[in-house]
Order: sequence, then structure tokens, then C-alpha cells
Amino acid sequence: MIGGLVVNFAVPCLIFSTLTRLQVSISDFGAAAGVFSIAVGANILVSAVLLRALKRDVGAFLPATVFANNGNMGLPLCLFAFGEEGLALGISIFVVSATTNFLLGVSFVSGRMSFKETITAPHLYVVFAALGFLFAGVDPPGWLANTTRIIGGMSIPLMLLALGVSLARLKVSSVGQSLFLGAYRIGFGFCAGLALSWLFGLEGAARGVLILQCAMPAAVLNYIIAARYDREPGEVAGLVVGSTFLSLATLPLLLYAVIHGFG
Amino acid sequence: MALLSQLSAIVLPVFLCAAIGFFWTRSGRALDSDLVATLVYKISVPCLIIATFAKVELTPEAVGTLGLASITVLAAGGVIGAIVLKIAKLPFPSYLPAMTFSLVGSMGLPVCLFAYGEEGLAHGLVFFTVTSIGTFTIGAAIAAGRMSLDKLIREPAIWAAVLAVGLLWTGWTLPEWLINTTWLLGGIAIPLQLISLGGSLAQFRVGSLGRAVTLAVTKLAVGFALGVGVAELFGLTGVARAILILQAAMPVAVSNYMFALIHKREPVEVAGMVLISTAITAVTLPLILAWLLTGG
Repeated sequence: MIGGLVVNFAVPCLIFSTLTRLQVSISDFGAAAGVFSIAVGANILVSAVLLRALKRDVGAFLPATVFANNGNMGLPLCLFAFGEEGLALGISIFVVSATTNFLLGVSFVSGRMSFKETITAPHLYVVFAALGFLFAGVDPPGWLANTTRIIGGMSIPLMLLALGVSLARLKVSSVGQSLFLGAYRIGFGFCAGLALSWLFGLEGAARGVLILQCAMPAAVLNYIIAARYDREPGEVAGLVVGSTFLSLATLPLLLYAVIHGFG
Repeated sequence: MALLSQLSAIVLPVFLCAAIGFFWTRSGRALDSDLVATLVYKISVPCLIIATFAKVELTPEAVGTLGLASITVLAAGGVIGAIVLKIAKLPFPSYLPAMTFSLVGSMGLPVCLFAYGEEGLAHGLVFFTVTSIGTFTIGAAIAAGRMSLDKLIREPAIWAAVLAVGLLWTGWTLPEWLINTTWLLGGIAIPLQLISLGGSLAQFRVGSLGRAVTLAVTKLAVGFALGVGVAELFGLTGVARAILILQAAMPVAVSNYMFALIHKREPVEVAGMVLISTAITAVTLPLILAWLLTGG
């Protein structure tokens, strides 16, 4: 029930509410989103090969190794590191991440890429609606802004509580694998972000935000999807928790590097 | 036009969120009310109280005055409700709690927030806490036929209120991490309460329509009149006055139905009162808000 409410209502409202409350220039939005999409594509390929080599269930683990916590962890970090500009760029990445996480994540886990599931996903319409308001340059009406703001406000705490519930059921036997895949998620993400920002000649906030967002720990949403389709939810939770735990150590270093340069 | 969009920004979110719960339940999906109640009342509402009072600067005197005014509204509402029921020859245990305790949480709090910002929410929470204490002591006692304080002592919201008042009194501030954590968890209360309200309304049926309408109209009218009168009596102005009037004019609380169900006090009739009074509020609430916002 909580998973259904979060996926169907709370997260779409959070996307709409955060996107429309900020003024993002469409070209910056597109550039950040485009480069990040390439990072996601590279990540899917490499992760699929790695998981197959490790003889793991590719469909179950792929979403968690590819899709990172770009919303509830990435956004505040982008804001604190690069101010309002960073937040706007971080949000464009968050939109790509949340949309693909939901669309591809569900199809990997459920094992079928059905067109019906893609077009019935609420995220897609929400992003289009928010982009419509941004393109038109008008604020959404007060009733819509207020409704989406309060419903969106549930998503982060409910996702974290759901994660905590799963933590309580986590089996100790998967800790080693969780830490290994978690380290891979953060390490490969960081390398992909670094390489792509060099390839596309990104600088300043655009570069910092891309690298930060690429090197986030695995997204909590992956656990929600895994639990919904009952595909190794405990192990996926382990990956989420393992990578989040590792990020306690990697984040301060990462923040220092993107703010002060790599020299 | 400006007033219309302002009103819709306050009232529509409340009914839209409830509509999610309504259609969620109507479509045959489960809304685990135990889980919702635990999340909302044991975790999120206490956090909302702490986080709101950590952010909004209210003087202990202002909180005390509003608290006393809220108690007066509830007590006078109970006395008038008793007189009405005596005249109508209806039993107190079934109907008196419903005539007294209003929907000040799930409907009252978002209205306070959207109409008067976080300051409004803080004021709304004072009325809410007084109503919660009243519901768990006197309301439960009327329906059960005996008084019990166990329930009250085990409510985390009461402890959160005690902590919030203690902080106001001493002027101490909580550490940043605790404020941020409670703020995050407090975000669950309002939307989840509204969704669960919609879910409850979807299951309610009206027993005897005439009686439900008469009692609901009486409750709403008495509540509004008491809000205005008591605000005058205590010399409340501005946000405090508006919040007292709004909270007093809320429909019959769902908790009354829960008590009626547990103690077999004509739950169908009480459910009808909740449903009818909530439906009427869709009309009266915008009118009261328009009056308050245009300087009434």
C-alpha cells in the first residue's frame, strides 16, 4: 500500500512540485539531461556485463547498480555545493534519473518491456506537464502547487521508512556482495561522470553537478520496485544500504574534489 | 478572481488529497488503517508538532490564550450539543462526541497551513492538541461510559506537545539534525491523514438522512458561532482569531466514528454525520475563508 502510494502519487508530485518551483533554462536543462542520459546508457552496458560475469540475477540487480539516489540525496548536495544554479542542474538530472529509473527499472525487474507500462507511468506525464509550465513561463495555479507540494512531501520520508523496514530484515550473508556492488555503483558512476564531463567540455557547476549526481549511492526507489515485484528485495536493499554506507566516506572526498578541483 | 484562486489554493488540495484515498478505496485497493494510524499519530504528528514549534516563534502567552480559547470552544460546544440532543431526545453516548469533536487534524491543519502559512499551522496545532486530549479522555469516556487516562499517557503527540511548550517556555532550541529529521517525518502527517480520510468516507453510508443533515448543520453552525464568539471573548486578533474560527467550524471528526464502532453506539448514524458534515463543509469552508481573508 505504502509502495503504491509513493510510486503512483508521492514521487510524481515531488517531481512536478520541485520542477515548477524552480526556474530552469531549457537549454541548460537539456544539456545536463542529455549528458546524464549517456552516463546512464554506459552504466547499463557495463553493469549488465559485470553482473553476468558475477553470475548474478541481472534483471534484479541492474536497476540498483545503474540508478542512483539523485533526488533525496543528490539535490540537497547540488544545492549546498553550487547554489541555486547547481540545484536547477541537479533537478534536470533527477528528472531523467527518476523517469528512467521507474520506466527501465520496472521493465528490468518485471522482465518485460511492455509499452503499456511505459505509457501508463505517471512520471512521464508529470514531467511533460512540468515542462509545459516551464516552456510557457507560467506558474502552476495555487491549488495545484499546494496539492503537489504536500503529497510530494510524503515521498522522501516514506521511502526512507520503507528502506528502514527492509534494513531490519536484511540478511547478514549478503553484506560482502552489497559492499562490493555498492563500491562499483559509486566508483563506476564517478569515472563515467568524470569522463563525460571531459568529453563534452563541461566546466564549473555543470561539471561538478554531473560528477556528483553520477557518484550517488543506489536509489531507494529500486528497493520499492524490487519489493513490489518480489525480486530479491533483501539483496537490493543491501545494495542500497551498502552504497549509502560507503557514501558516508566517499561523499566528503567527492564534495571536496568537485568544489576545489582535482588538481 | 484573485480571491477565487486564493480560495481554491486553500480548499482544493484538501479535497483532492481526500479524493485520492476515496478512489483508492473504491477501486478495491486496501488502505491499511492500522499502518496509516501508526505512521500518522505515533510518528508523523508528534514530529510535525516539534518541527513546527521549532520554526515558528510563538510566545507562551499566545499559546496559552489560544489553548484556553480552544478548551472554551470545546466545552461550550459540548454543553450546547447536550442541550440539542436532550431536546431531540437522542442518546448522549452515541451523538455527543460527534457534536463536540471536529476534524481539526486531517482537514483543519492543511486549511490552517494554506491560508496562513506556518504561523497558521502552529496555531492550528494548538487547537488540534487540545482536541486530541479531549477526544482521548472525555470523548472516549462518553462513548465507553467510563474515564481512562492510559490512552492519553501513551500518545506520543501529547509528549511532543509537552516538549514543544517546554521549549517555548525555556527558550531552548533543538539541534539542527533533530529539527531536520522531525521536519522530514512531519511531512507525512497531512497528506496521509487526508488520503485516509477519503478512504474512510468511501466506506461510510448515511443511515437516516434527515437526522444526519439536521445534526450536521447544527454542529457546523454552532461551531462557527462559538469560534466567532469565543475569539471575541478572549480578545483574539489576526491569525489566532482566524484559526480559532476555522478550526471550530470543521466537520464531525472521523475518530467519533471509531469510538462509536468500538462501543457499538450507532456507528452508522455517526458515519452519516461525518459524511454529511464534510460534504456541507465543501460549501461553508470557502465562504468562511472568503469572509476571513477579506477582513471579516
